[in-house]
Amino acid sequence: MNWPDLSMGGYGFYIWGSYLFSLIAIVWEVVSLSQRKKALTQHKEQSSDSVPASVLRGSANETTS
Amino acid sequence: MFYPIAGKMIPWFSIPATTLFAVGMFVGFFIAPADYQQGEAYRIIFIHVPAAWMGMLLYVLMAFYAGIGWAFNARLSSMMASALAITGAMFTLISLVTGAFWGKPTWGTWWVWDARMTSTLILMFLYIGFISLQASIDDPRRADRAGAVLALVGVINIPIIYFSVQWWNTLHQGATIRLLQKPTIRGSMLAALLIMLAACWLYSVAVVLTRLRCIILEREQNASRFAEVGV
Amino acid sequence: MLRWIVWRDLMLAWRRRADMLSTVFFFVIVVSLFPLGIGPETQLLRTIAPGVVWVAALLASMLSLGRLFANDYQDGTLEQLLLTPQPLFLVVLGKTLAHWIIAEVPLVLVAPLVGVQFDLSRETLWILFASLLIGTPVLSLIGSVGAALTLGLRGGGVLISILVLPLYIPALIFGSGAVEASIMGATPAPHLYLLGAFAIVTLLFSPWAAASALRISLE
Repeated sequence: MNWPDLSMGGYGFYIWGSYLFSLIAIVWEVVSLSQRKKALTQHKEQSSDSVPASVLRGSANETTS
Repeated sequence: MFYPIAGKMIPWFSIPATTLFAVGMFVGFFIAPADYQQGEAYRIIFIHVPAAWMGMLLYVLMAFYAGIGWAFNARLSSMMASALAITGAMFTLISLVTGAFWGKPTWGTWWVWDARMTSTLILMFLYIGFISLQASIDDPRRADRAGAVLALVGVINIPIIYFSVQWWNTLHQGATIRLLQKPTIRGSMLAALLIMLAACWLYSVAVVLTRLRCIILEREQNASRFAEVGV
Repeated sequence: MLRWIVWRDLMLAWRRRADMLSTVFFFVIVVSLFPLGIGPETQLLRTIAPGVVWVAALLASMLSLGRLFANDYQDGTLEQLLLTPQPLFLVVLGKTLAHWIIAEVPLVLVAPLVGVQFDLSRETLWILFASLLIGTPVLSLIGSVGAALTLGLRGGGVLISILVLPLYIPALIFGSGAVEASIMGATPAPHLYLLGAFAIVTLLFSPWAAASALRISLE
């Protein structure tokens, strides 16, 4: 095992830059996905807490917003 | 029904994925030696090559699932294709950017029009096309099927495009050496490469399944919203 | 039936001759922009000519693709055509052939004139003509798939371009490669053969893919 030279023989910017970009991309994907999921599950809970569908069907003449 | 099963499966992929990323990076940086020609710069391949492979693999998978979803009218399959698209595009983007970062120190320029990078760029365009098309269609079933046609046409064209890019590249090479040459692979380098590939694979499964669940939820909610209004 | 469809589209297009001409004008203008943007040095222009003319042809084709199915879609004719006992891919083939005659052949005919602006030799101009003659059917064929997929969608021409331009790349490479070979004194034959092969492959699968796409868009 050899301790790597952190400046990577002068190529540090390119190597760490690549990995940093990849990390940012992955983090972006994971975060945006978890936000999307959170919004959906919140919405799901809200609609199940609210008035049951049968009652809503009674007011079917209302237009959607 | 698929939804809860998928939910339980996800941590089985996300946790090993993170572990393997860590292991792969460790092997790649602490165990694999410097390359004879490129010195330390080659270490970018540990993310560049797996990302490129994932980009290509996920496109083929996407086309496969889209095709099955269209042929058998299997909605879950089509949704899987849509879920794969963004992850595939993201890996392709990582491959392009890391390829640029690799090219600059080794060959002097940020962008290199060699066959591999150019083909990867075109793959990116194909992903963008698929994602844009599905984004422009409101009706989910039409979006599924239209995406399937586009993805299948893309998959058939990919070998042709790759061949034509190779052709184009050899014509214009002139006296320059083959660019972005791979370093001579040693055992530990190969190990790191494969570990990182496995990590990307596991990561993809976790992320795609999560997105699939989101898509399922979204379609359910859109459907019930219509039902409530009596459409 | 095929002849009827082609004839009908040709007649309709003749009534709107201006559309046909606008595609050609666009092509000529775009090609002329490059020397203005890059400089008049003859050697440089000769080098860039194949790529420039071919890319301009691609872009001009993009403009005309929107019209391939849209007009019939808007007046309901397309749905009627779907109901005929004739196989849909024949209808598509007919319309694609008509599109080629209306939108692409004028480009092919004008291209050598435009090539003169780049100081190409007579032999090269012939190769330019030939490469476009073989390659433009590909543009219509692949374009028909894009037009069918995007029928009725907002985003129109730009969306078709995003979908279809990457798929044109082999035609671009072989087509401009042929012209370039001619400029450098090499034989353009291998490029033209590959272009022809690509055109045949496209002919085999595009009408079927476009027909499927039409059905999907019209459901």
